[in-house]
Amino acid sequence: MSEETIYQRLQKQGVSRRDFLKLCGTLVGAMGLAVPPLEGSNLPGHLGKIEDKTILKVARALESKARIPVIWLEFQDCAGCSEALTRSQSPTLIDLVLNTISVEYHETLTAAAGFQTEANKESVMQNYHGQYVLVVEGSIPTAADGVYCTIGGRTALDLLKEAAEGAAAIISTGNCATFGGLPKANPNPTGAKGTWEIITDKPVVNIPGCPAIPEVFTGTLAYFVIFGALPELDDLNRPITFYGKTIHDRCLRRPFYEAGKFALSFDDEGAKEGWCLYKLGCKGPTTYNACASLKWDAGLSFPVQSGHPCLGCSEPNFWDGGGFYQGQSAPLNRPGLTAAGAAVGGGLVVGAAMAAGNRAQKKRAASGLEEEKNQE
Amino acid sequence: MNWNAFLEFTRGPLFNIALLIFVGGMTYRLVRVILLGWKRDHVPTMGSKLGGVIKSFIKGTLIWPFIPWVKRTFSKNPVIYLAGGLFHLGLLAVILLGAPHMLVWKSLLGFGWWTLPLPIVDWLAAGAIAAMIALLINRLVNPVLKLISGPAEYLNWTLVFLPMVTGYMMTHHLFFRYEVLFSLHMLCVDVLLIWIPMSRISHFIFYFFSRTIHGADFGKRAVSP
Repeated sequence: MSEETIYQRLQKQGVSRRDFLKLCGTLVGAMGLAVPPLEGSNLPGHLGKIEDKTILKVARALESKARIPVIWLEFQDCAGCSEALTRSQSPTLIDLVLNTISVEYHETLTAAAGFQTEANKESVMQNYHGQYVLVVEGSIPTAADGVYCTIGGRTALDLLKEAAEGAAAIISTGNCATFGGLPKANPNPTGAKGTWEIITDKPVVNIPGCPAIPEVFTGTLAYFVIFGALPELDDLNRPITFYGKTIHDRCLRRPFYEAGKFALSFDDEGAKEGWCLYKLGCKGPTTYNACASLKWDAGLSFPVQSGHPCLGCSEPNFWDGGGFYQGQSAPLNRPGLTAAGAAVGGGLVVGAAMAAGNRAQKKRAASGLEEEKNQE
Repeated sequence: MNWNAFLEFTRGPLFNIALLIFVGGMTYRLVRVILLGWKRDHVPTMGSKLGGVIKSFIKGTLIWPFIPWVKRTFSKNPVIYLAGGLFHLGLLAVILLGAPHMLVWKSLLGFGWWTLPLPIVDWLAAGAIAAMIALLINRLVNPVLKLISGPAEYLNWTLVFLPMVTGYMMTHHLFFRYEVLFSLHMLCVDVLLIWIPMSRISHFIFYFFSRTIHGADFGKRAVSP
């Protein structure tokens, strides 16, 4: 890893000062930071100070800081989050961020293999103890002492604990690493867990999604690189900047929801008109993510825009959270026939027993009346 | 607490438990009444029991509620007639013909049906909520009603009112986040489902049951000892 600053490195690649500042601006936008007003505006003076300008702050940080080493661990995953990041079509931002970090270990991307790579990881963990960022992709199996996922003869659980020990921060990317994802789906044979369920003594930032939105991942990482701290998180450890609003809040089909215009099947008139997909199972109202504002493929589109309901992939247990095409109002599951039968049967038996008791009482009362009559 | 996790609980296991208690409880109540004993027909019936039942249902569901002068229902008590009617009509329309509720029925029964457009359901729901408030005020003001209302009556009102208000707020995204209102709506519904068999709200089944029994009795046209 070179000790030259990020800006020096970019300069060597032919990035001009102007382009560099543009990139800083993009980064500020991506991180959701407020940009103070420009000089010369009529706003209060303290807002216009050059020192306060967030873009310049970002630029200064990039000018003065060396690249941050990253160890990227993959466990029970599909490498989809890595794929999304590397194939992202927004070159400026992703390039900038990939230039600001130095990925020292990544099972999918590293050219070398075997003992060499493992040895490199060891040396990074030793040399940059307490400084490197650990990125986790994929869930961690805990059943049977974690034998369901081993790399180089060691379990994922063991590798994670070892790497987490010296990490400055841990970023979990994708629903698997954050909330267990697909491997955790019922019946969860491997005892899969998310990173933050295992590592409790370190800050773990969750970037859920299936895959995580590349810009959200890079924005969060950039925040850490620039400010040396983690962004504000919600109760599920997700950065509030990106996970503060639901898909429904920012949805372009929202007006149709308000007007009560719904597509009822994927090929009806409503679907062709672009009406709300709520009745086709959209989980947008309860799903916190930035899809509707950042979108995918350089802001081209996102699932709901393309005509598919939101699956809720940035929420815990989304695989078991009801059918993907079942309206959200429907219960998660219905009681089994046995349970329903037992309930009806129980009602029948208790009701019949009570009735029998009441009948006996009625008879006694009637015979009592007759006796009284006879006595008279 | 994470509200989405709570929502999963109220939509999942708690709803199932509530539903089973509701079904078991209603079965128990019906069986207990039905098996209590029937009056035997000591003399041959002159009329038709079935005809009596049909007539009774037409009277009870179409004529009396919708034609006020037949039983002078409106002039006797306009508040109860209007608010009570609006409440029952609104509630039925929302529960059966509101699209989100139809999806609940569909997931439970396996088949769905036509639904009303959202704005119409919305107005009916608002009407039903307003009617419930009017009925509560009436209950608190009317001296006779006040005397015959105990804690159970007020609890009935509350447990029916809460799901309606939370549901209305939820559709309009008022004040709280969607999953918060959704969980509260489901929680209220679950509590209501458990409470129904123990309360007089069970009249929504017993009404039809008693109309049948009385209809058959009226249709007999025979001398009863």
